[in-house]
Amino acid sequence: MNPYESHPARILEVRDLTPREKLFTLRFLDEDLNERFTFRPGQFVIVDVPGFGEFPISLCSPPTRSPIQLCIRKAGRMTKFIHKMKEGDVVGIRGPYGNGFPMEKMEGSNLVLVAGGLGMAPLRSVLWYAIDTGKYEHVWLFYGTKAYEDILFRDEIIHLLKHGSAMGCTVKLAYEVESPSCIYLEQGFSDRVCRGVVTDLFRGEEFDVNRAYALICGPPVMYRFVIRELLDRKLSPGRIYMTLERRMRCGVGKCGHCVVGTSVSMKYICQDGPVFTYWDALSTRGLI
Amino acid sequence: MRYIKLPSENFGKFFKSLEAWGSVYAPVKRGGIYSFQEVHDPAEIALDYNRTMLPPKKFFFRPKEAILRLKNGHWEENLEAEPTVLFGLHSCDIHGLKILDRVYLDEPADPYYKSRREKTLVIGISCMPDEYCFCKSLGTHFAMDGFDLFLHELPDGWLVRIGSVRGHEIVWENGELFEEVTDEDLANFKEFEERRANSFQKELPQEGLADMLDLAYNSPVWKKYADICLACGNCNMVCPTCRCYEVCDRWVDAYSAVRERRYDSCFMENHGLVAGGHNFRPTRLDRFRHRYYCKSYFDPSSGYNCVGCGRCDEFCPAKIEHVKVLDEIRGSLE
Repeated sequence: MNPYESHPARILEVRDLTPREKLFTLRFLDEDLNERFTFRPGQFVIVDVPGFGEFPISLCSPPTRSPIQLCIRKAGRMTKFIHKMKEGDVVGIRGPYGNGFPMEKMEGSNLVLVAGGLGMAPLRSVLWYAIDTGKYEHVWLFYGTKAYEDILFRDEIIHLLKHGSAMGCTVKLAYEVESPSCIYLEQGFSDRVCRGVVTDLFRGEEFDVNRAYALICGPPVMYRFVIRELLDRKLSPGRIYMTLERRMRCGVGKCGHCVVGTSVSMKYICQDGPVFTYWDALSTRGLI
Repeated sequence: MRYIKLPSENFGKFFKSLEAWGSVYAPVKRGGIYSFQEVHDPAEIALDYNRTMLPPKKFFFRPKEAILRLKNGHWEENLEAEPTVLFGLHSCDIHGLKILDRVYLDEPADPYYKSRREKTLVIGISCMPDEYCFCKSLGTHFAMDGFDLFLHELPDGWLVRIGSVRGHEIVWENGELFEEVTDEDLANFKEFEERRANSFQKELPQEGLADMLDLAYNSPVWKKYADICLACGNCNMVCPTCRCYEVCDRWVDAYSAVRERRYDSCFMENHGLVAGGHNFRPTRLDRFRHRYYCKSYFDPSSGYNCVGCGRCDEFCPAKIEHVKVLDEIRGSLE
């Protein structure tokens, strides 16, 4: 099999999440592949629109559920094109690529998911995997967004705000731009929804640093602040996992666009990552 | 290793015999520039060439190629490797191919690179360094593997090292052209290698190099050279180990398209650009430093990503010298 060749997949459903993001539900035309296809939360695929090009996208559904789902933001030429596609259209998918989060290693521990903006997409995979399998003690989700309209998977987030504790999950939300909807949400969940940035959500939350892992995904500027917060709480750098974005063109460690680092340590984000620990960040310049 | 001698008078016959294995490419001089071209007459070869402008990577990793063709909604792969003989590769270029092998043959192997590599015979030739060469500093001035045959110049012929089963087969099938190596040949071989080792004018001290470059991340020397650099990407194109590529789809007609890939350069602004407009290497300084870090990266299995061939110096329009930049960066720490 040529590693650059994708497998055709049909778009089963297209759902608007926000004015910029859509959720695509996909099923491979090859039934065997649907059976075979498995992945780890945090891994990504390359979406191929034949004749137009390819782009990398994180899987946002958990491996415990099928079919697969991708949350795609209209950000460039290719994603603008796929946003015009409809149910029944066929695209190509190759992957999964990257290392993903070490879910087995974290079993029995607490998970602290810290998402900023579109970073919610890969962490949604972790969130539902953890809830579906029940193998993790407690899950916190700290989610920072710009405005109420930007909340990805809003229905799920509100559902978890209401019923999360029964599923072993605490969801907290921070928004930057105030709107009537935000104020309404904040009134309903005054202990878990606030105006501010994602690090504000750590306030009042206690977790045993020896039994917790932090999983971070968000815009580049977010990492430094979140990591500082976690280190202040004495979480070991080895328990801080972050998933990073770079220009992953080929996905298989050849094209060179996602290479980071210096003469002593170079990493391919597509193969060595996209999930790294804070130890990696300390030894690889330019990672965050 | 098996050693054998090819007397000068048999060189032409030996060269012609290679045509049985595939199209033979060898260095020829065109204008003031050497390049690998298809050769039928051994008289056309520039045996004493210093370096070609494009390294032999162009035979395996093409400057531009269609990798997939879209026909009736399905991708078809475009594998069309021809049997080829690359004659006259210098040791540094053989090391360059080994570095590309580590990337392109690593799982999942690149099928285009792999099939061409499998169908290509590599015949090395000894050389004398010029003012740009610094391969000796990097240990790439002598190839111990990565070739089928390697020819070392003797006063009256060539000492041939056989590096693969295919190399053995060529010698086996043309047994009448070869002789056993004599003590005199060995003495000449030794003398040539010693003379060559003493002829290098450029040296890149390696001690602590990678760490010192990392420590000098904020050195003003990077900016000094980034300001001179034209960011043309010439150094990437001529580098035997640069292998970044860009992919784009192109419609041939209303029903068929091709997916093409072509050489890319880390000096181009969009190299580190992601969707949404964030650029992880936004300035020329970032990109300049990145290239030097990439070339000076030391991989435990294949060494540095630089083989000291001197192409980036010779073909740099801004006359930036690789070793001089690294020396100055290192010096700026003191």
